[in-house]
Amino acid sequence: MIVRLLPEVLDSTHAFREFSDGAADGAIVTFTGKVRPADKTGEAVDHLYLDWYPGMTEASMEAIAHSACARFDVARVMVLHRCGQVHAGEDIVFVAAAAAHRRAAFEAADYMMDRLKSEAAFWKREQGAGVERWIEPTAADQADRKRWEDE
Amino acid sequence: MIRVLFFGKISDLIGQREITVPHEAGLTLHRLRDTVFSDLMAAQALKPSDIHMSVNQTKAREDIALNDIDEVAFFSVFSGG
Repeated sequence: MIVRLLPEVLDSTHAFREFSDGAADGAIVTFTGKVRPADKTGEAVDHLYLDWYPGMTEASMEAIAHSACARFDVARVMVLHRCGQVHAGEDIVFVAAAAAHRRAAFEAADYMMDRLKSEAAFWKREQGAGVERWIEPTAADQADRKRWEDE
Repeated sequence: MIRVLFFGKISDLIGQREITVPHEAGLTLHRLRDTVFSDLMAAQALKPSDIHMSVNQTKAREDIALNDIDEVAFFSVFSGG
């Protein structure tokens, strides 16, 4: 299990190489999240600022990764997340799951993202020309998280 | 002294990232919250339910008694990643 909080750069291509090199797994699923260049109303977004609590934020990411390993038949997972200022177009999150077969890898990656989107200890502020607002999980984020409770 | 940290929107509203507060006998988390945010709550800029709390990096009940070496954090709801 690899979990990293990154104040500088997240390079998902490099992360994939690190995760997959030499691996004997039958399936690897990855997801890369990027900062969108516009908010929900179409206003341009220059960057996000992700506030974090050193220690607590890493622990929240590790708890999600641990839970995925316990819940799904995966060999390994990776969770990388940016903090601080992240510009539009940059990678903000990367998750990967490796398993003998594809289904467990798909589900573990999906599960980790749904939990990261609502439970990870970040506070996200969207900033652009004339736009500056703190973001909270949406109803869709909460519904995505709840999917895993109903199973 | 108790180290008090602020994160997210709460940090913006109070205009601080960190303060220290002298410990006193019987001090509870909710009393500390009510003291620290008295002006903002009086101005109705914040309700107690808007303020999430942890002690030593673990989310805590508001009636927990605080110790002199505790690290308390006040923050808005997690936005997630």
